[in-house]
Amino acid sequence: MSRRATWSVLLGILAVALGIGASGDRGPRSEDEQVQAIAARVRCPTCRGLSAAASDAPAAEAIRDEVRRRVRDGQSDGDVVAYLVGSYGQDIVLSPEAAGAGLFVWALPVAVVVVAVGSLGSVAVRRGRRPTPISDEDRDLVERARNRS
Amino acid sequence: MTAVIGTAAIALGLASAILGVGTLAMGLRSGDVRLLRLGRRYVWMLLAAALVATAAMQVALITHDFSLRYVADNNSRSTPLLYTITGMWSALEGSILLWALVLAGYIAAMVHRFAKRAEDPLVAWATLVALVVAVFFFGLMAGPANPFRLVDGTIPLDGTGPNPLLANHALVAFHPPMLYLGYVGFTIPFAFALASLVTGRMGEGWLVETRRWALFAWAFLTAGIVLGGWWSYEVLGWGGYWAWDPVENASFLPWLTATAYIHSVVVQERRGMLRVWNISLLVATFALTILGTFLTRSGVLDSVHAFSESAVGPTILAFFAVIVVVSIGLIGWRGDALRSPASIDSPISREGAFLVNNVAFAAFAFVVLLGTVFPLVVEALNGDRLSVGGPYFQRMTLPIGLSLLFLMAVAPALPWRQASPEVMHRRLLRPAAAGVACVVVAVAFGVRGIGPLLGFGLGTFAAGSAVRHLAGSVAAARLQGERVWRGLVGRTNGGMIVHLGVILIAVAFAAGSGDGSRRQLRLNPGGSATVEGHRITYLGIKTVEFPNRRSTVARIRVDGGKVYEPALSQFPFATQAIGTPSVRTGIINDVYLTLVAIPSEPAGEAVIGVVVAPLVTWIWAGGGLMLGGTALAAWPRRGRRPKQPATANTRSSGDDAPVESEPGTRPAPQMA
Repeated sequence: MSRRATWSVLLGILAVALGIGASGDRGPRSEDEQVQAIAARVRCPTCRGLSAAASDAPAAEAIRDEVRRRVRDGQSDGDVVAYLVGSYGQDIVLSPEAAGAGLFVWALPVAVVVVAVGSLGSVAVRRGRRPTPISDEDRDLVERARNRS
Repeated sequence: MTAVIGTAAIALGLASAILGVGTLAMGLRSGDVRLLRLGRRYVWMLLAAALVATAAMQVALITHDFSLRYVADNNSRSTPLLYTITGMWSALEGSILLWALVLAGYIAAMVHRFAKRAEDPLVAWATLVALVVAVFFFGLMAGPANPFRLVDGTIPLDGTGPNPLLANHALVAFHPPMLYLGYVGFTIPFAFALASLVTGRMGEGWLVETRRWALFAWAFLTAGIVLGGWWSYEVLGWGGYWAWDPVENASFLPWLTATAYIHSVVVQERRGMLRVWNISLLVATFALTILGTFLTRSGVLDSVHAFSESAVGPTILAFFAVIVVVSIGLIGWRGDALRSPASIDSPISREGAFLVNNVAFAAFAFVVLLGTVFPLVVEALNGDRLSVGGPYFQRMTLPIGLSLLFLMAVAPALPWRQASPEVMHRRLLRPAAAGVACVVVAVAFGVRGIGPLLGFGLGTFAAGSAVRHLAGSVAAARLQGERVWRGLVGRTNGGMIVHLGVILIAVAFAAGSGDGSRRQLRLNPGGSATVEGHRITYLGIKTVEFPNRRSTVARIRVDGGKVYEPALSQFPFATQAIGTPSVRTGIINDVYLTLVAIPSEPAGEAVIGVVVAPLVTWIWAGGGLMLGGTALAAWPRRGRRPKQPATANTRSSGDDAPVESEPGTRPAPQMA
């Protein structure tokens, strides 16, 4: 098989596997999974750095109970989080909304990477257009080295 | 008595650092080499002072000298000896003392190492810069963070003891000292970076000298971070090892920039490029260690407005600002001399990959820094409080981490200067096929989600690439009649072993990113439940009295085998009970048990937390592999090295081989 064909086959297999792996999710979430997913998005109010899903603290348990009650009432993830923001404040959410000041924290790294990669890329393209020519001096060097050995 | 000795020692340390700076400055100004030789002698006085101050603190702790405020706050008569000793780094003032001790040790080692070159202005400048840092830390102890301050009023009969979380696992004896050996170690490369800027000697000589110091510090920082994760896992009881907490991020930030440095410095040694960048990375690494100290030690994390209550926060922040301003000023001043005449021939080359690696690490550090300080900045600006936590960092760092895994796979196979498709095909086909096979197997076994699957696939790809490199190197060593392990020694080979360690950790992170294996069981004695295929049987509780705590222990049988005993302990001065998890470790997953609530009566219902955490042991194994690899990378070589497969066709075959042409000039042409 040619080089190109080999790599195409590999990439094809990878694409199919990833396609199955990404789409074939486990179907509808159970109540536990939904509670866990919502609790993982908010902070445990009395801990530092832990989500309400990860902590055994009473405050985290209280949040999980509240989330479970609202999930049973049929509220969506967004509704429950909005309720928690209303009663605990905006800083209960572990990742800021991409709006207002919060937009900054999401967009800035992306912008920086785009600029960095862009400037590197443009340098590379400029360089790529004019490969360093091999001078006669270089050839002499090589010739002398060969003769020596 | 200890207070007097300790205070005197700190004053002596401060004085010797100031005298050293003054003498060296005068010597450099006048060119008088006697002053340069005299100046460095103060370093030994500094070290002696730091040792005496540390000894005084230890004596005060061990003899429970509660006339010292620090001892009264961090020790008690019932504190076991181990935690009495580790009490020195349980709080701010003592940990500054540890910092000062490690710093004095490093400066002394540096002065000793460069004793023969004491008259060299570059070495003198580096010593001066390091001593200025020492002036800051000893000044901090002489002023706002005095560990030998006396208690106000009557001397208490007993102290409150250390924070209970810092007194129930032996890892507290290792994690902070390791971390500080890492943090503080970057002072030396930083000092040389500034010295080279000041003296205008930007040749590659100083880099070779300090690369090893940077690697040494990096190894300790790595060990410190991994041990910190381990401590968190064994003590905090939430079943995780990394929470993207600001304190963790503060240690991770200098690690990221230092890792970028140890990669890009190779490009400077080989091709004479990236000088400004490398100096900037050293400066950034050092500055981030100071910023981390500010973040974790000033109280600013609790509230922006808390840190000004003590002078410690503003002082550290001011020092950070001075470092940044002075360094940027010097780099700007020397900017022209730093520009390299060499350039990159092709982006698809080893040096191109190093460049992309550096962009990725810089982006990683930027994301972590931004996420860590953003809440503080927003609160300082408009008073709003918001959190930036785990979900943000996971989402932002996942693509960067995957890119780094991809680079780890491809870069070791790339030749310097220019790659050809045949070479890449030959070197990468098998690792790539292994990666794809891993994804297929994982999907077949029911793994779902693009993140974990790409993590596993790219991890296998990268591991394959590292193993391919090592196999080639071992084969070359055998061909030359050397022992097999010689093929694992050397910078690139050791580096590949470090990569394998990183890959283990990355794969464990990828596996742990999905949760749902966390349960709370309410069980009566004799009752059982099954979590993720593990049978958990609650046998009952018992109470155990320790000198410093009373513990309630739950006895839990896992999978019908061994009995595990998570506990809840009551410490005399703590309001909340402190949990101690118990872990059944395994290669595939750990069963992590906590006692969440004690039953009201012995036969009653206990609440038991169960976390089935995948691949956690891989993290500790990965950390060990990273340290072993670093040791092999730094191992002194003898004689000729086997040729590196990636560069076998070029004249300078080993990475460390002396560059034959003057670095920065046009490199020697390749021999076909």
